[in-house]
Amino acid sequence: MNSLKIKKILNILIFLILFIQLMIIYYNSKISPVNIQKKNITIENFSSILLSKYGVTYFGSEKLSKKDEINIFLEGLSYLENDFYKIYGKDIHLNVESEISYSDKPVKTINSMGTMKASGFKNDANIGKIYFLGDSIFNFND
Amino acid sequence: MIRLVLVILFIFTFKNIYSEGYIKAKDGIEWDSENQTYVANGSVMFKNLNLTATADKMVANYIEENNQEVFTKVEFFQNIEIKFKDEIFKGDYAIFTKNNNTIKLNGNVSIQSPTRLLTGDELIVDLDNNTRTLNSNHSSSIVEVLIENNANN
Repeated sequence: MNSLKIKKILNILIFLILFIQLMIIYYNSKISPVNIQKKNITIENFSSILLSKYGVTYFGSEKLSKKDEINIFLEGLSYLENDFYKIYGKDIHLNVESEISYSDKPVKTINSMGTMKASGFKNDANIGKIYFLGDSIFNFND
Repeated sequence: MIRLVLVILFIFTFKNIYSEGYIKAKDGIEWDSENQTYVANGSVMFKNLNLTATADKMVANYIEENNQEVFTKVEFFQNIEIKFKDEIFKGDYAIFTKNNNTIKLNGNVSIQSPTRLLTGDELIVDLDNNTRTLNSNHSSSIVEVLIENNANN
């Protein structure tokens, strides 16, 4: 009688373990498509436009890595151009929602007054400010 | 070879013609297109056709004329040294106004030329009329020192 009871319990346990394993397999297979969506999308020699309060801003790079829906990494030689300025740099991070772009690599910016060269930059297009970082020089035609 | 040298010389000359002035800063320059200012921080050097100025901080205001930005007012803060021809002006605060081509300095002001050194509290330099007005809160604080090398002249 006792051995029968033990067998029953063991059977139930085995079924339970099998059920848990099935659940794990089921949920794992459900997560996998989400993981694929989160993977970076990489495009080479990319260019596109961004509509902002400064009108149309053209941007592009040697290689584009889309981190998610709003964050883009412009890898290698990159640019941002509109009617007010032209920014030429390298490895630029761009948030298309907040319109903030930045880079810690040397940058050259041309506007209607002259040419700015700096060790990096942060452009907050929403408030119309560009912070040129580190050693900076602005050659102007006054 | 000579052609190459001439081409290089031409490029350098051409570059200098169109680089009339510059702003240099160790700790960055901020361009605010909404308030129409450039703010430079850390060992700032400003140079235009007339003068060269160094300071800890600089704020330059500009306006847009014929699709071009033109400086109207440049302010300098702390450790200011402005060189104009053979003169050096020093002070704690300075403002250069392009419209009337004047520089106004305040706080620990001095004016040094090859022949003399004057100190005071406020200095107004009129570049067009070539006048210097040195004011002091206390009459005794205006000091004139003849520079030794040129004292005999």
